[in-house]
Amino acid sequence: MTPDGALLSLDGISRLYQVGSEVVRALDGVSFEVQRGEWLAVVGQSGSGKSTLMNIIGCLDTPSGGTYRVNGHDVRGMADDALADLRNREIGFVFQTFQLLPRSSALANVELPLVYRGLPRRERRLRAEAALRAVGLGDRMHHRPNELSGGQRQRVAIARALVGEPSLLLADEPTGNLDSATGEEIIRLFEELHSRGHTLLLVTHEPRLAARCPRAIRLMDGRIVADGPGREVAAFGTAPVVTA
Amino acid sequence: MTSLLDTVSMALSTLRANPLRSLLTLLGIVIGASTVVAMMSLTEGFRLKVTKDLAQLGAGSFQVQKWPVMSFGHVDWQKYARRKNLTREQGEALRDLPHVAHVSIEAWNPGGEKLWTRERATKPNVQVAGGLPDYQFANYVVVAQGRFLSDVDLQLGRRVVFIGADVADLLFPGEDPVGKELRIRSTPFTVIGVAERMGTALGIESRDGFAVIPINVFDQALGRPLNHNLAIQATSPEDVGKAIDETVATLRRLRNVKPGDENDFEIFTNDSVSESFNSLAAVVAAATFGVCALALLVGGIGIMNIMLVSVTERTREIGVRMALGARRARILAQFVVESTVLAALGGVGGVLLGAAVAVAAREIWQVPSSIPAWAVVLSLVSASGSGLLFGIYPAARASKLDPVEAMRTE
Repeated sequence: MTPDGALLSLDGISRLYQVGSEVVRALDGVSFEVQRGEWLAVVGQSGSGKSTLMNIIGCLDTPSGGTYRVNGHDVRGMADDALADLRNREIGFVFQTFQLLPRSSALANVELPLVYRGLPRRERRLRAEAALRAVGLGDRMHHRPNELSGGQRQRVAIARALVGEPSLLLADEPTGNLDSATGEEIIRLFEELHSRGHTLLLVTHEPRLAARCPRAIRLMDGRIVADGPGREVAAFGTAPVVTA
Repeated sequence: MTSLLDTVSMALSTLRANPLRSLLTLLGIVIGASTVVAMMSLTEGFRLKVTKDLAQLGAGSFQVQKWPVMSFGHVDWQKYARRKNLTREQGEALRDLPHVAHVSIEAWNPGGEKLWTRERATKPNVQVAGGLPDYQFANYVVVAQGRFLSDVDLQLGRRVVFIGADVADLLFPGEDPVGKELRIRSTPFTVIGVAERMGTALGIESRDGFAVIPINVFDQALGRPLNHNLAIQATSPEDVGKAIDETVATLRRLRNVKPGDENDFEIFTNDSVSESFNSLAAVVAAATFGVCALALLVGGIGIMNIMLVSVTERTREIGVRMALGARRARILAQFVVESTVLAALGGVGGVLLGAAVAVAAREIWQVPSSIPAWAVVLSLVSASGSGLLFGIYPAARASKLDPVEAMRTE
């Protein structure tokens, strides 16, 4: 653990896939760091490698080359169980399609990461209730996902991501399945979380969303082509670019 | 502990979500478990009943017959048919043996007789015995009204009859039968007594549909008795072995059995009857376990099938759980516990069903049944065990999913 160092540190990350007889290089020498309390967007066209990057940052996948450290832990060579524990403690996931368990109440969904952390029932309940109240769903705790609107579902997912107090909130196209007004609500919630000190990493193909973030990274063909203030990186995408 | 509880409650909520499917899946398990409990309850009931009936016969007695009392498997009936009949004289000869106290010589006709009065008649199923006063002791007859046969009845060759409670109810409803007249075939007999109700033998056959007449008037009503059964009381329970040895030696001599040849008559003690019964019970138990094992196998395959479907349906859920930090072992445990809980519920259902059958058999059809605790435990354990065993493969498949791929599944 290096509390003074960067929360995330990627150094020369590459990820190769074998597709038939061809080797596809989804990520090729990606290096950057994310400090505690940062709000960062990763943008790029589909096929640019951002999903692969997200899976590696989320410890769902391990890199073929390079070094990735999360909160001081080097994930290289980690066994499945160690990766699962790392995800449970360090990462809070928010997915485009919410990925809530359909048969479970909002409360039970939010409790889930704490179940896998092995916390006692009572503590889980209290923390899940607090997390749901924090996202403005104090009155919807016992509803099932199909009884909630899209925006409410995403709030449940955010509460689930936050309940374990992870180091990083990792969101994959969090507004992709929402109308623009609801999407705006969710972005406001992210802004609020950012102002409270949470570290946020958004993966998105929407330049408008990236423009709201203090910092953005643009990926193209598995490489970083831009890293800077969100507004500039977003604009970089809209302008015609000739890659050298 | 918390995690096991969580896993079980997770499993229960999944099963609640698909009640019909869960129920259908469980049918095989339910049938297996209920078969074991029902069959074992009936066998156990019979066993207790046989033990009790045999105990009533008393420890100091044994029987001599031409025919075997109970037999299973291949029986050479010709062999028994070729045997000489047991005669009254052979029975009388046993009275002088040092360790024999009483000899009840009984003449029985195969099949039953119709007993009748001017007003009423029984069905032709009354067992009529020609007996001696010793019959009462050998067969543990308790006199409810009147008296049993006496030596005087035999000496005078009186045509008197002692009847069972069913016969009394049928021919003399609401009356005192003692002193009344009834006919066996065409011969009139005077009723001298009625037996106390004995209930059913092995819960099936009434033991109250009988009549006893003096053995020396048996031929007047039913023709000359050919074969006799002998019920012998030893001088004390410890002397039964000696009494049997003396009886065997005497009968072999009287019946000219050559040395080295086997006895041409059967000796039964309580022990030999209960041995025969136990061998029957063992056959029933083995057959039941066969049926049960088959049902559990079928049920287990059903469970495996449904769990594989469940894993496929819930691939996304599995991916999400893994993303949120569930270790592979946790996913494995979740599905194994689910299939075990499912099967255990089937086991509980089967036990309840089997117990219901056993209780119904006892209460409605008066068939003896007693639910043995070990059959309940065995059913529950083997049902849960089949769920565990057949749940492993689907659960292993679930635990080996790649979370990224799994979450992408529609």
